[in-house]
Formats: sequence, structure tokens, C-alpha cells
Amino acid sequence: MKLTLYIWRQKNAKSKGFMEKHQLDGVSEDMSFLEMLDVLNEQLIHEGKEPVAFDHDCREGICGTCSLTINGTPHGPEAATTCCQLHMRKFKDGDSIYIEPFRAKAFPVIKDLISDRSALDRIIQAGGFISVNTNQAQDANALPVSKEKADLAMDAAACIGCGACIAACPNASSMLFVAAKVSQFALLPQGQPERKRRVLSMVEQMHQEGFGACTNIYECEAVCPKQVSVRFIAQMNREYMGAYMKNEE
Amino acid sequence: MSIVSYLKSTILSKIVMAVTGIILLLFLIGHTLGNLQIFIGREVFNQYAYFLQSTGELLWVFRAVMLLSAILHIVTSVYLKFYNLKAKPQKYAVTNYVKATLSSRTMIWTGIAIACFLAYHLLHFTFGVTNPEHTKYNGYVEKGAGLYVEYNMPVPELIEGKYIEIPDGKILFKQKDVYKMVILGFKNPFISIVYIIGVIIVGFHLNHAIQSAFQTLGLNHPRYSPSIIAGSSTFSFLIALGLISIPVSVLLGIIGGVA
Repeated sequence: MKLTLYIWRQKNAKSKGFMEKHQLDGVSEDMSFLEMLDVLNEQLIHEGKEPVAFDHDCREGICGTCSLTINGTPHGPEAATTCCQLHMRKFKDGDSIYIEPFRAKAFPVIKDLISDRSALDRIIQAGGFISVNTNQAQDANALPVSKEKADLAMDAAACIGCGACIAACPNASSMLFVAAKVSQFALLPQGQPERKRRVLSMVEQMHQEGFGACTNIYECEAVCPKQVSVRFIAQMNREYMGAYMKNEE
Repeated sequence: MSIVSYLKSTILSKIVMAVTGIILLLFLIGHTLGNLQIFIGREVFNQYAYFLQSTGELLWVFRAVMLLSAILHIVTSVYLKFYNLKAKPQKYAVTNYVKATLSSRTMIWTGIAIACFLAYHLLHFTFGVTNPEHTKYNGYVEKGAGLYVEYNMPVPELIEGKYIEIPDGKILFKQKDVYKMVILGFKNPFISIVYIIGVIIVGFHLNHAIQSAFQTLGLNHPRYSPSIIAGSSTFSFLIALGLISIPVSVLLGIIGGVA
């Protein structure tokens, strides 16, 4: 396959970026998208040029590190797939591909295709945890969880925190991410003691990080590599309303 | 705590958008059903209009609620729009939407268009500013007969909403001829087209708005959500169809032959 790539290049967080054109020949359709970029980087290194910086880690679709917006869609054209698991057979010989970093005010670009997503970590620190006293573990059967609730909590917990929802949202809203984290704990007995405080603090942190407001267009759900449903946003709205009105702290 | 401190939370802002939107929608439903009475006839339609006018203080309470809802809806949406623009300062070189509908992405623009249309609508029919010749007519109902009569001669001593005996022995009841006002307005093709376009934009706005309000208020469930989304579209279509049917019928001469 022969491809024309338009790639966002940016020296550092302070410099102004631009789209750079590259021609890449001999791409196999069995390569993953990231392997295609590896080939491009080898070519650039041989030419004595600066390779393209991009985020990646597990390359098996479970860590949420890869973060490319491919032709305007975070993680590219294949549904429910991270870009590391996207294969070049999804593209045609002679295609032009636009590769950009995940964009949001709260995700400043550090270099080329890498944006700083630590805002998501700070949201988790604000309340995305449960407090467990260290001691002998209690009997597992002391906390009954229904199959339905367990399944639903697992669906929410499928979020790998990649930030594609934010990258896809025209408002850079992090509602789907926060909603997945809030719902995951709100559905389980272990999450109950901090339930109200959690949703209030995580939403407050989300505002402080500068993420936008949700307009219910559901682009987040469409690009989510783990298919987290927007029903969790509705659940978080319920959680928030209840906590806002009944919070005793 | 200021009245607009809810703006600090995007979720509370969205709830304000949903609740004020629902209040405005409830009015629109009533307004549509009420106005469709024009197809029953002049007597019924004018009596309905007279009934609304005669509610006194209640009318002002109702107008205050509508005005407050509209102001909150507009202020919150404009605030959120700027807030959201700030959250995504840099756009992509290539934009591609997978799932978002056109109506969901253009809410602020259809909203602004609706605000302009609403201002014109009020200036035209409610305040009689743009076409005062449409709103000046009165009609008279004869007591007992229940029939609507139009007197060409001016009867200035008749007071609106009171039965008065006129020299020829008939007892008349004076009310505004709202029917004639609507017919005269929509006989003008330019005004009719503005209304039809305005109502289509309202329908387009509602298509996203109704299901969005459900989501914001936390009502999303896999069993009901597909019906809510389909219902939202169908309902918006019916509202728009109902409202468009009036100017179209006037233009085609189906109603208002007499006026």
C-alpha cells in the first residue's frame, strides 16, 4: 500500500504546530496503525529527520494509551477499537490519512501526537476510588451483588480512560469518562459510603480542568473503544441531582 | 448565593435548560392544539381567544413564567456555548461525525433563529406592531343566537367582554376578531413563508431537544430510550405539521374564505 499521511507536528507544548505531509510506500495491510507509524519513523530516522512522537503502550487495546485522531475520528474508522488494534486493511492503497492528537483545552499537546491527559488522573484522584480499611478481608458473600448490577458496573468499568470521548466531543466534555467512573462505584455496595461526595467532587474537578458541557450528541459513545454507553451519563445526572440536594457535608 | 450560581455547574445548567425547555414545550403543545381550533370555525376560535384574554391576573402569571423560562433558557444556552468554545479552542484539520445528528449540532443556531422568529411573531400577532391593520378588527356575538356577526359600522360604545343592547334590540357581545387577524396575516404569502420556515426550525430544534431533556434529567434506559428518541422525532414532526397546516390552509383558501 502507498499512503499519503498528513501528520500534526509540534516541537513542544509552547510551540505552534502544523500539518506535515509524508509519503509512505510498502505498507502491509496486516500492519496495525501504530506499526505503520513505526515504519514511517524508521524511514524518518534513516533520512536524519526527527521521528513522529506518539503515545502507545500495550498495543493490545486494553491500556488506553494510544491517542490518535485519524481522519477526524478518535481511534480511527473502526468502531469499538483503539488505534493500536486498527489495521491498515481498513484503508485503501493511495489513501490520504490525517493524523492529529486528541484535542481539548484540558489535553494540551506536549509534542507531535502526544497530548497530556493527566487531567483525567486528577478527576480520579478527586473521588474515583473506594476507601477500604486494611485488616482481614471480610467474607465475600457478606456483600451480595445482583448479576444485573454486577454486569452493569462491569460495563461502566470497561472504560480504559483513553480520553477518546473528550477528543470526539465538539465541546471537549468529559461526561462519559466521569459518568463511567461514578456509575461503576455507585452500582456496587463498596461504592456506597462515598457515593454522594464522589460524584460532587469528581464533577467539580471536571469543571476545574476546563472540560466542556454535555450537549447529548453522543459522539463520545460512538467513538468509545470500549463502547461505554451514554446511559451512564444519565445515571451520573441522577446521582449528581440527588447528591446536590441531599448532600450533608 | 446568586440566582445564576447554577451556571458554575454544567450539570445544573443542563437541568435548567431541560426544565425551562419542557415548560416552553408544554406551552407550545397548548398553543398548537388551541390554534388548530381555527379549523372548527370563527366562533369557536374567537371564543377561545377571548377566554385566554379574559383570564386576567392569571394571564400575567402565565406570561411571567413563560418570559422567565425563555430568558433562563437563552441565557444558559449562550453561557454554555461560550463555555464549550473555550473547552475546545483548537479544532481538527478534518472533522468527521460518526453519530451526532445535524439537529443536535446546530441547537444554538436553530435556537437563535427561533428567538428571532418568536420576537417577530409577538410583534405581529400579540403586540400588533408590524401589521397593525391585522389586529384592529372586532367581532360581535349575538346573545342567545351564539352566532358570530361582523358589523361593518363601528360600534364604539360596546365594551369588550360585556353584553350591551344596541338600538335595534339585539344584545351583542364584543370580542377581538382574532380569526380575521390570522387569516389576514397568512393571506400574505411572504408572512406565511416566514412562519412556515420558522416552524420547521422549531421542529428541527425539538427533534434533538425532547430526547435530550430526557437524558439530562437522567431518564435513559435501554428498554425505553429507542422509543424516547423515535417519539421525540415523531412528536416534533407532528407539532411542526400542525402549525404549518394553518398558513398552508389559508394560502390554499381552505379556511378564511369569508375574511
